[in-house]
Formats: sequence, C-alpha cells, structure tokens
Amino acid sequence: MNSGILLWIILLLPVVGSGICQILRSPKNVMNFVCFGMALIGILEVVTAGVVFSRNTIFSCGEWFYMDALSAYHLIVMALVFCMSSLYGMRYFDKEIHEGIFTLKLAKRYGTLWFASLAAMTLILVSNNLGMMWVGMETTTLVTAFLICTRASKASLEGMWKYLIVCSVGIAFAFMGTLFIAAATYKFQGSISGNGVLWTQLKIHAGLLDPKLAQIGFLFIFVGYGTKAGLSPMHTWLPDAHSQAPSPVSAVFSGFMLNAALYCIMRYTSLIKLVPGNENLSRNLFLIFGTLSIAIAAAFILSQHDLKRLLAYSSVEHIGIITIGMAMGPLGTFAALFHTLNQSICKSLGFFCAGRLGQIYGSYDMRVMTGALRLSPLWGGGLLGSLLALIGIAPFALFMSELLIVKAAIATNLIWVLVVFLLGSCIIFAAVLKHVISVVYGTPPVLDFKPRCSSIVDTGIVVFSLGVLLVLGLWMPNSLNEILCRAANIIEGIDVATTVCVK
Amino acid sequence: MHIEKIINPLLSLVLAPLLFGIINRTKALFAGRTGQPLLQSYYDLWKLFRKGAVYSKTTSWVFRLGPIVGLSVVIAATALVPSGGLPAIIAFDGDVILFAYLFGLMRFFTVLTALDTGSSFEGMGASREVMFSALTEPAFLVGLAAISKQTHSLSLTGMLAVADTALWSHIGPVQLLVAFSVFIVFLAENSRMPVDDPNTHLELTMIHEVMVLDNSGADLGFITYAAAIKMWLLSTVLVGILVPHNGNAWIDISTAVAAVFILAVLVGVVESSMARLKLLHVPQILLIANALSILALILVLR
Amino acid sequence: MSFMTNLVDTVIILFILTNFMLLGSSSLRRCIRVIALQGILLGILAILMENGTPTIHLILLSAAIICLKGIIFPFLLIRTLRDLNVQHEVEPFVGYGTSLVLSPLVLVVCIWLGSQLSLPMGVTSSLVAPVAFFTITCGLFLIVSRKKALTQVLGYLVLENGIYVFGASIATIQPVLVELGILLDAFVAVFVMGIAIYHINREFEHTDVDRLNRLKG
Repeated sequence: MNSGILLWIILLLPVVGSGICQILRSPKNVMNFVCFGMALIGILEVVTAGVVFSRNTIFSCGEWFYMDALSAYHLIVMALVFCMSSLYGMRYFDKEIHEGIFTLKLAKRYGTLWFASLAAMTLILVSNNLGMMWVGMETTTLVTAFLICTRASKASLEGMWKYLIVCSVGIAFAFMGTLFIAAATYKFQGSISGNGVLWTQLKIHAGLLDPKLAQIGFLFIFVGYGTKAGLSPMHTWLPDAHSQAPSPVSAVFSGFMLNAALYCIMRYTSLIKLVPGNENLSRNLFLIFGTLSIAIAAAFILSQHDLKRLLAYSSVEHIGIITIGMAMGPLGTFAALFHTLNQSICKSLGFFCAGRLGQIYGSYDMRVMTGALRLSPLWGGGLLGSLLALIGIAPFALFMSELLIVKAAIATNLIWVLVVFLLGSCIIFAAVLKHVISVVYGTPPVLDFKPRCSSIVDTGIVVFSLGVLLVLGLWMPNSLNEILCRAANIIEGIDVATTVCVK
Repeated sequence: MHIEKIINPLLSLVLAPLLFGIINRTKALFAGRTGQPLLQSYYDLWKLFRKGAVYSKTTSWVFRLGPIVGLSVVIAATALVPSGGLPAIIAFDGDVILFAYLFGLMRFFTVLTALDTGSSFEGMGASREVMFSALTEPAFLVGLAAISKQTHSLSLTGMLAVADTALWSHIGPVQLLVAFSVFIVFLAENSRMPVDDPNTHLELTMIHEVMVLDNSGADLGFITYAAAIKMWLLSTVLVGILVPHNGNAWIDISTAVAAVFILAVLVGVVESSMARLKLLHVPQILLIANALSILALILVLR
Repeated sequence: MSFMTNLVDTVIILFILTNFMLLGSSSLRRCIRVIALQGILLGILAILMENGTPTIHLILLSAAIICLKGIIFPFLLIRTLRDLNVQHEVEPFVGYGTSLVLSPLVLVVCIWLGSQLSLPMGVTSSLVAPVAFFTITCGLFLIVSRKKALTQVLGYLVLENGIYVFGASIATIQPVLVELGILLDAFVAVFVMGIAIYHINREFEHTDVDRLNRLKG
C-alpha cells in the first residue's frame, strides 16, 4: 500500500470532521463528537508517525507532502495535545451548556473551527513546499481567531483583535522571508522546474543558495514565525489571547501552536546552516531572542494577578528556553526537542486545571482564588503539580530537559546565556511558587454552589499527564531517545547520536 | 533679432488682463449666464487709472510704495521667462531662483501694505497668505529642480524652451507630476479656488482680497494689473513644462499663447466645479503638491 | 528604453501615488476606493512583469487578483463601513500633513535599500523592489499609527499588496497554485477581520483600537 495515502487521510479527516460539526443537533453532541472524532484522528496520526519512523520518510502528492522524523515527532505531540484538550473540552463546557450560554450556534462554530485548526496545523506538518507551509500557518491564525472569542466579551474581543493583527503582520513578514529564500535559489532553479520551493530540494542544494538573500530571508522568517511562536519582543499578543480564550483552546495554543511556529523555524534553520557564510546566523538569533524572552517573561511573571496570564508568560519563558537550547549544538537541540514535548503536556495540564478552577471560583484572579486543594482536590492538586513541574522541580521531565540544556550550555561555552537562563528561572521559580502556595493552600472562600465531583475522565487526564511527566523525568525510553536523535539529526545536519550522551 | 527677444514681455504685458476675462467667462458659462465681456478687465483698469486714490490716516509711505514695487517687480520678471521656444531677455544660471523670489518680493510688499493699514482684518489675510506661500515655494522650486535635472540646464530659458516630443516619451511621468504640482501652486499663488475665492468678500473667507481692501484708484489698478501679469507668467511656466515645441518660431509662439488661454479655461472649469476648501485643509493640498514635486525629483535622481 | 519599460514605470508611479493618497486622506471611503485602484494596478503589474508572452496561468492569476483585490475586498469593506456607520478616521498619532511630507523621504530610503540588494532581476524596471518596500512600509505605518480598526485592516491589505509586488519582482517560481492559496488566505483574512470588526462594534459601540486597552500587563 502506498504509505503516502496516510498523509492524505490525516489531512482530510479533520476537514470532514469540521463539516460534520455543522449538522449536529445539540451542543453536547458537538462536544462529544469533537472528542471521539479527535480520538480517531489521533490514533491515525500516531500510526502515521510510526510508519514514518519505520520507513524514515514518506512522500506524497508529487513531493509536495513529506514527512520525516522531525515532522512525525511533532505529529505525535499534536495528537497528544489535541486529544487531551478534546477530552477535557467534553466536560468543560457542561456548566455553560447547562446555563444556556454555550448555545448550539456557538458549539457548532467551536467544533468546526477546532477541526479546521487541526487540519491547518496538519498541513504545516506535512508540507514539503515551503509556500504551502506558510499557507497552513496563516490559516491557523485566521481559524483560531474566533476560537478566542467563543464567549464574546469586551476583553475577549480585544484579545482576539490584537492576536489577529499582530500575527497577521508577523505571518506577512514570514511570507517576505519565504520569497527571499525562493529568490536565493536562482543558481539552481532550473532543476526545480516550476515545482515551487521544496524543502527536500533546498536541503540538497543548500550550498548553492545566494548567501546574502538567504541571510535576509532567514531574518524575516525568524521574526515572522517568531511572532507566531511567542518570542519576545513579538509576544505581545500571547498573554491576551491565552487568557481570554476558553481553556481547551489555550491549551492547544500553548501546547501545540507555538511549537508549530518553532517547527517552521527549525525547518529553515536546517537549511541556513548549510549556506556558506551563514552558519552562525541562526545561533546568534536564537540566543538573542531566546534570552530576551526568558528575561521579559521573568519580569512580567513577578507582577501577575491573573492565573491564565501567568501561564501564558510561562509559555513565553519556555519557548525562550527551547530557542536557546537549539543554539547549543547537538545536545542542546536534542534537549530542546525533548522540552517541547514536556512543555506541551505540562502547559496543557496547567490550563486544564486553571480553567476548571476558574469556573469554580468565577474568576481567574489569584487574589480571589485560595484553598483550591480543599475545594477541589483533583484540580487543585493538578494545578500544584503542573506549576511545580513548569518551574522545573525535579524529578519532573522539565527539570531533566532543562538540565540537559544547562549541560549543553557549558559544553558550548555560552556562560552568559547560562547566567541569564538560571537567573530568569530563579525569579520565575520564586514568583510562581508564591502564587501557587497562595492559590492552592489556605482557606477556600464560601461559594454559592458546590463543585460537582470530578469524573473518571478528568481524573484520568490529570493522573496521565503528571504520570507521563514523572516517568519521563526518571527514565528516557530508548525509542523516545532514538526519535529525538533522528529529529535533531535533521536540524543539525550531523549525526547527533554520537555526540549526545543520555542516561 | 531683437524683436524676438521683446515679443514675449510685450505679449505678457498686453494680453495678461485677458486671462481674467477668459476665466470669468468660463465660470459664467458654467453657471448658465452670459457673463462679463472678455475685455472687461481692460475697462476696469482704464477706469481705475483715471480715479483718485483715498489714503487712510493710519498708513505711511509704505502703503503708497507697495503697489508700485509690486508692479515693477512683476514687469521685471517678464524679462526672465521664455515662451514658445524663444529665449528670455535675461537668462543666466539660477535665474529660476530669482524668478521665484521676485514674486516673493512682490508678496512681501503686499503683506507690508496690508499690515501698514493697522487693521486686524488685513493682518489676518496677510498671515494666511504668508503661511500658504511658505508651502508653495518649496513645491515650486523642487518641481523646477526636477525639470532642471532632466534638461541639464540651470536657467529657465534652458528648462522651458526645450520640451520636445522625444523628451516627452522618455520621461513623461515626471513632466506630468511636476506639471500637476505646479498647477496646484498656480492655483494657490493666484488666489484661485479651491485655495481662495476671488469673488468673496466675507470676513472669514478672504485671503488675497482682504489684503488689498484699503487700496483704491491707481494703486488698485497697479495691483490688479500686477496680479494679471503674475498669472500670465506662471501660466507660461506651466505651459513651458508641458507643451513640446517644434522649431518654427511663429507656430511656437501662437501655440504657447493658445495653451495659456486653454489653461485659463481649465482654471475656470476647476473654479466652477470645486468649492473652496476648509482653511485647515489647504495646507494639506499644498503638502500634496510638495510630495508630488519631491517624488518627481526622486524619480529623476535615481 | 522600450515601450514596456515606460508602461511599467507609469504603473509603478501610479502605485506610489496611491500610497501617498492613502497616507494623506482621512475619509475611510476614499481609502477603500484607493485600495481598490491599487489592487487593479497590482493585477496589471503582474502581467507586465512577465518576460515574454504570458501563459494562460498568469492571465488567470491576474484576473483573479483584479477581481479579488479590486472588486470583492472593497465591496466587503464598504459593507462593513456601512454597518459601522462611521465615515472618517479620527486624528491619528502621526498627522496627515506629517505623513505626507515624510513619505517621499521614506521612498528615498527604500530606493537606497533596493539598490543594496542584488536581486536577480527578471523584470523591466529597477523601481519595482523599492516600491515594494515602500508599500510594505506604508502598510505597517497605517497599522501602527491609525486609530480605527478598519484602517488597520486597510493597512494589512496594503502590506499584502507590497509583498505581492515584491514577489512579482524577483523571478520566483512559485507555482500558480500557491499564489492562489495566498490570495485565498488574504480573502479569508479580510473576511474574518470584517466580521471581527462587526463584533467589536456591537460590543463596544466604537471601533477605536486606541480605546481597546483593558488587557494590560
């Protein structure tokens, strides 16, 4: 069987799903369908990833679709995040459905846009044609914009508008970068013969790219996709969009959409490293913007009152960490990729807990939220666990990946970067811990309704996430090790496994 | 031949008041009236020159000097402008700046006479006039600088007498941009709509009219005549930018004169179809003229 | 030079003039009409840039551009404008006069930038790349310095136009399919933004983005 057909399936199924959402009859049905449809697609995605790992690469559609270890790894992360969010979303909207706020029209819109964003993100991952990858990225912006203002309020509309404008401008810059890179191919464009800029072709001929044009192109790409990824100083849309969107959407944003933008940057990094004269360009850019992100995130977390904004700034910090990791050679890239998985799971869990607690308390203001552990042991405990993991407490997986990054920093002699990273992490550690303790412990306020008992599903989500984080922190399975090595290979262009030592 | 050299100033001195007549007639046609006779301005000037002047007690010798200086300066300016392929009487490198500043001198004296009357009414008109001219001068000079760069000549004679069809097809857009910009300057300097209404005598809307409110008799005659010649000279410059010439002196001169008349008709059309702009918007349109001139210069320089 | 160069030059100068008009005009309706004109010029430019005889693909693409950017986008925007019941931009952060005078200077900088880049020129005029940068800068300027949400959408459209001119200026080999995909994205973007503005207006009763400042920190 032609394995290329799998790529078509995982791309088209979400589109079909979004169509089906339009004809369902009740909000509850829509949410259930989202969950089960997503589960089905998720399984298929994992199967596809497995096929990619076994065969090394898959091509399809005349070389326009392509998957290798890097895209397959991200596919797994996407499947995980989307499945968890869909499962969580099944119960999250119960209260609003009950009160009639979450009407059928809103639910249908939500479901359609949810699947459409999945389709767009899948398009990013399966594209070989860099232009098509850009189209996918732009589509995610447009489609997720209305997911933010699912509940129309002044604040959510403002957040959505800021997101729309800032990200559209960023994506426009990314398009400029794509054009520059395409222009840089004039020395060998004859052999591409009107097929567009294919990443695989560019990888082969990277040495022939015009250095100056490629340099400017990469700069635009970095700034453009970096806006979508949440790198400072282009992160201004992030706190507003994340704090105003409903929790499943925030989880998808932080859990995968930021990673998708970084994935695009990674693809271009692997190209620019091979262009003569530009080997250090990506490294310098990563270091500058990464450390800036960590510093700014630390500064803003200190003065936060809103729980979801706190989590959003934490995303900025972690994206910064991933970025500086990628600048630190093979070991750093390995650690950065590992960190993307950990950050996705942990941040998703954080948003899930924040969402439920917000529903219980009626607000996300941390000065109002106290005694969460007593009010709802499951979600309070989940919040505690996820926030502790986010700030890097051992033995959770984030600690391990950050430790690897520290090791890589020392190995590549980037001491100043290391200092900024540790300083930022310490500040965030202290600030978040203070907030966590005040939110989770203490006496809960008297509420006018009793929060219902958590269901099996909810318990399962929390336990599963924390469990995975714990397990990965203590033990790196060989298969994951190998997957990460192969993905890092693609970025670095050299054989990573020989230089990486993992316990 | 000497006759060739003085034919331009002669034409401008004789035919200038006809322009007012053409403009007024065009406006009347648009309004559905028959309008004044074409030679009305000549009759008005003849009447004014035979009248006595009345001078206010608050004025001084400046008030009597102003109109005379204005007229003499403009007549001097006629010596600088070429037309119809014939060179001007006086031509030297940089005479375009002298040309612009002769008008500046005339404006200066008009403003002085206005301020000399001690009336706040005229002071208001004077301040508006000066503000607008601060914006029109750069537009005019930069536009002509662009033309000068193209024609590789620093003198008006070199710039305006050489438009020909070959040059047109080469850099047509630049000519058009400069012509449009100079047209806006023309409307502003000659106090035409949409910058200023020459027929209004309402307090808040006068700009040029208010400055000469206190002049009478021969002085007013000088001022009116000088305004006519100024309009003729600026039309000649505008026409010189656009109209190609083809070598035969008589054809060129008649073409130039005809083009000036057509320009007068065009001004009449513009005046009939546009209302006067809000005073706050006038600087905007002058800045547009500036932007167009700068754009033309950029296009020539690259 | 050939007739073609002159034609391309004229279209480009008209393009620059549309940018000037956008920067200097406060009436939203006029801005939308100017953007329609810009879209039509863009379509014409797309055909003129091609060396040799244009393929059927290119003609279709050019027709699509003229249709979308010249007719459909302005139609959508004018409809949004009618719903909003607003006619004029409020006084922007950088005044109209200042922006008008600054714009030729920005054009000079862009021409300098264009000369610095040694782009593979498959085109007939050296003004194209600088005008592309200039249009992009004008678009960004509109987004940043204006106060109405609709003007920000117009700025985004101008930005996209500029990027498109730039794309047409370098001899790229983007297949027509991707070009169409990009056009479609622009279409959906405008559509989405229009709906967003409608919602904002309904909730806030104004569309001054300057006053959207609840989310801080």
